[in-house]
Amino acid sequence: MSATSSARARAWRRGFYRFRQSLLSVVGLTLVGLLILAALLGPMIVPFPQDLAGTVHTAARFQPPGAAHWFGTNELGQDVFSLVLAGTRISLLSGMAVVAIGAAVGVLVGAIAGFFAGWIDELLMRLVDLVLTVPSLILAMAVAAALGPGIVNMVVAITLSWWPGYARLVRGEVMAKKNEAFVVASIAAGAGVGRLLWRHILPNILSPIIVKMSLDVGFAVLTVASLGFIGIGVRPPTPEWGTLLAVSRGNIPDDWWTAICPGTAIFIAVFAFNLLGDGIRDLLDPRARR
Amino acid sequence: MVSFIARRILLLIPVVVGLTMLVFAITRLVPGDPARLAAGPNATPAQIEAISRQFGLDRPLPVQYWRYATGLLHGDWGMSIYSRRPVLQDLRDYLPATLELVLAAMALAVVLGIPLGLLAAIYRNRWPDMLTNVVSMGAISMPRFFLGLLFQLGFAMALGWLPLSGRFPLDEDVPPHLTGLLTIDALAAGDLHACWVALQYLALPAIAMSLSPLATIVRMMRASTIEVLQQDYVTTERALGLSQRLILFKYVLKNAISATLTVIGLYFGWLLGGTVLVETVFDWPGIGLYATSAILTQDFMPIVGVTLCIGVLFVVVNLLVDVIYAALNPRVRLK
Amino acid sequence: MATISRRGILAGGTAAAVTAGVWSGPASAQTRHTMIVASGQDIPNFDPHVASGYSSSFALRNLYDTLVAVEGNPPKTVPQLAESWTISPDGMEYVFKLNQAARFEDGSPVTADAIKYSFDRLLRLNQGNVWMVAGVLDKSSVSVVDPGTVKMRLVAPFAPFLEVLPWIWVVNPKIVEANKGTDDGQSFLRNAAAGSGAFRLKRVETGNLYEFERVARPWRAGGGNLTGAIWKIARETSTQRLMIQQGEAHIALDLTSEDMDALKGRPGVRLVMEPDYRTFQIKMNTQHGPLADVNLRKAISYAFDYQAMLDVAGHAVLMQGPLPNGIFGFDDKLVVYRTDLAKAKEYLAKSSTPNGGITLKMTYVSGLEQERRWSLVMLDSLAKLGIKLDVQPVLWPEFSGSAASPATAPDFFPIYETANFADPDNLAWAGFESSRNGNWSNPTFADPKVDAVLIAARKETNAAKRVALYKQFQQLVVADAPDIFGVLELRKLALRTNVRNYVFSPVASNVIDLYPLSLA
Repeated sequence: MSATSSARARAWRRGFYRFRQSLLSVVGLTLVGLLILAALLGPMIVPFPQDLAGTVHTAARFQPPGAAHWFGTNELGQDVFSLVLAGTRISLLSGMAVVAIGAAVGVLVGAIAGFFAGWIDELLMRLVDLVLTVPSLILAMAVAAALGPGIVNMVVAITLSWWPGYARLVRGEVMAKKNEAFVVASIAAGAGVGRLLWRHILPNILSPIIVKMSLDVGFAVLTVASLGFIGIGVRPPTPEWGTLLAVSRGNIPDDWWTAICPGTAIFIAVFAFNLLGDGIRDLLDPRARR
Repeated sequence: MVSFIARRILLLIPVVVGLTMLVFAITRLVPGDPARLAAGPNATPAQIEAISRQFGLDRPLPVQYWRYATGLLHGDWGMSIYSRRPVLQDLRDYLPATLELVLAAMALAVVLGIPLGLLAAIYRNRWPDMLTNVVSMGAISMPRFFLGLLFQLGFAMALGWLPLSGRFPLDEDVPPHLTGLLTIDALAAGDLHACWVALQYLALPAIAMSLSPLATIVRMMRASTIEVLQQDYVTTERALGLSQRLILFKYVLKNAISATLTVIGLYFGWLLGGTVLVETVFDWPGIGLYATSAILTQDFMPIVGVTLCIGVLFVVVNLLVDVIYAALNPRVRLK
Repeated sequence: MATISRRGILAGGTAAAVTAGVWSGPASAQTRHTMIVASGQDIPNFDPHVASGYSSSFALRNLYDTLVAVEGNPPKTVPQLAESWTISPDGMEYVFKLNQAARFEDGSPVTADAIKYSFDRLLRLNQGNVWMVAGVLDKSSVSVVDPGTVKMRLVAPFAPFLEVLPWIWVVNPKIVEANKGTDDGQSFLRNAAAGSGAFRLKRVETGNLYEFERVARPWRAGGGNLTGAIWKIARETSTQRLMIQQGEAHIALDLTSEDMDALKGRPGVRLVMEPDYRTFQIKMNTQHGPLADVNLRKAISYAFDYQAMLDVAGHAVLMQGPLPNGIFGFDDKLVVYRTDLAKAKEYLAKSSTPNGGITLKMTYVSGLEQERRWSLVMLDSLAKLGIKLDVQPVLWPEFSGSAASPATAPDFFPIYETANFADPDNLAWAGFESSRNGNWSNPTFADPKVDAVLIAARKETNAAKRVALYKQFQQLVVADAPDIFGVLELRKLALRTNVRNYVFSPVASNVIDLYPLSLA
């Protein structure tokens, strides 16, 4: 046991070194760090907090970016910088929630399928295949629209199409690990299924799950923004990037800042998470080495 | 080979059936009353009830599903409450537009992606590679709808090089209908001018759609080419004096084809279902826009129809990809 | 460059004689004059006795004719299928003499039989614009005197009768009967036309565009040079704006104030901004919930930030009561609510929730950007009274469905009301008569005194007496504060400067009559 754990530790150290060496990964990490900071502190540090509650100052509408309003003002005179900054929390949290819940559900389903095999596996995997054939964006849209506006409904709707990927991944991994010596030994020693999965198998297959999660967050954030853009999602006056972009679409080109700012925010967030995800993958999955 | 194909086709059926059930169930969880919209804002309750009866909305759920499932087999995919046309007819009208967009996007992705991936592999870890990596990362991260808006802002509004939206100029006749893909139809009719015009309208939306598959193809080509270059048989053949070009060509081509196939399989379904955003921005009359209208007006037959259509196409394309893959690579068949 | 060649074609020179389509490509387009109309609204139904909504009305206006038409500013009734008419002194009998030149597209004359058939069909199907003559005509009202004369005997007097006739279209009985099917021709007429209008339906692409083509021999006098038209659906108003700018469309119908400002001074663009009879108000739930209390309604009426609403609306004026400014019977001396926080707090103190502390609900139709902004103005206004607002965008079916009962209706219900005819009865009845309860135009308001006044005003034929009755109506309504009376947005249309002969009319101004128009 100690031989493998020190080997693992060495692999981690090597991985971290590689990570640090990659400029892009570091950039990604930094950006993500900043974004998380913005998400946590955002609503508390915005220059115009009253705009988040929906105050209206129509006399100051559509002011271009300047000293008083770094990103200008929108159609109701509200500060775009405050809205975009506050929106970070919603977009990030929703995106992460989707991935977290999707992974949790998917891991559970995949573990059960992989471990018990037989007809349970067949049934669950057919279900997974089924959900994967449904176009994910349309499914998310249809469900979110059916459930009504609100962040929770939106997250639920998107998660519905997110979990199958994890189920498939985990099923394969669990099946592979199931026949390994230590598992067989544990079963012989009377270990229960739950404990086996939780204590022994899962920690060994954590890497690919983490890699997938980190690569997925960016896309989850993008999907949240996409739904917001279509007009399905949060309730006003909640500032969400996709919704901000949708309502300001008509302001291009004259009042361009109302659209360009939230749009660029989406891009930067997704880009940052993708960079980071790539870096994590290089860290944990040596096969993806350059 | 035949048994492989047969087996895969048989597996198709339960998936498709399950698909219809799943989507049908979801769309019926909807609050609100679809009959009311169809009847119009000034309708009386009697009129609304008549429409409700006409579409069978007052029957229990399993009965509604059974009517639907049996109807499918007869080519009756239900009626759109909003347009009051058969869904199948609507799909026939809208699918070609989306197909044209998807095919154009895939074509762009392949034509640009393969050489870029090669380039990245050959100049591995030097600046063309780094640049390609960052750019393809950026391409995947860019929200398609935002990019679409930027394209409109730049190319249509500011520069005026390309049209703003739509498929074809409104006051000109479209080429005679053959496939519904305007570029193909124009070529078939020998009308080069129409084909050129259609391409101009296709350009911006197709580019916006192509970025994700492009980035993926670049990565896959790069990875597989690097792998090839490091293989033993390559060094052996080099030692034997075969020119580097020939070696590269032979193995890389093979990898290119398999990378392309994989990406097509992966992305086709995703693209078909993902054109919604681009179609919205560019007013492209495809099934994405059709599905969005249906979702926003709670017109459930079109939603089910579109999902079924895309799902079936996805499964079929995957089957084709698997078959071609198996044809090229016999080891796969023996699973 | 595609843009320039297109603009060149659209602005192209005089029409040359067309040789039967030999060439494909831009050359043949020069002999065509196709008007492109950009709108965000689809035309789901072409049946003149079933369809409603301004987009369908546009199609119907050009595919069909009516006994009389309405045009000009101020709007006046002009002959169309009827060349003259007489009205009995008691206002109960109308006799129309038909224009002998009128022809259906198949060449057959438009006779009195066709008129009777059309009216009977409308009443029989009981859909579309039948509400305009509900209680006024029944199946024995219309009778044929001779092939060129029609008589209509009303069930009850109805002063604006001539003003609703432009919305009751005449179909060709021969064609409809031949395609009757089992549903009185509804399936047939949904996507096809059987009219006498100057245009016919050429191409139907639901959700995308509809193409109209001029008939070979239009019977109406004085047509322009249009050979056809296309109704192009462009859902984003910014797209419509850009289409006008680039010359890809000739008329845009749904522009916002911002769009109009962006277009100001652009070459080749003509902006039309005129007052018309389309009101916007936020109706309150007078029967269920906290707003059943008139004092709370008055408090909110005084707290509402009307200036912000106006700022957001851009080119608009504030309403002064339930009727649009300037319409017949409008009381310009009426005192209405304006922002006054002191008075608001005063009424709040008298209400059942003197300290606020409640949460109210407002829904609006998802996608209507202006309504979104106004709901945010309401949110801000209510905050000053210590009241929270839950804003929810919903889809139209849910929105109109929620009006069905006071229990399901939200506290605030924002709607636009467009007048189909320039008579106060239209908006007053639809918005405040109690039989309309449960319908989106008047979910909850019911006052027997108001009903009595409206019924009397409908029957009254003396103009001065009608004015007095509508004055009473407005005073009663304002005293009860059932709505936040909002804005009258100016009708905003943008046209290319090469569109000729367009004359604005405040009645259904987005239902454009194509026949007199030309493209230079």
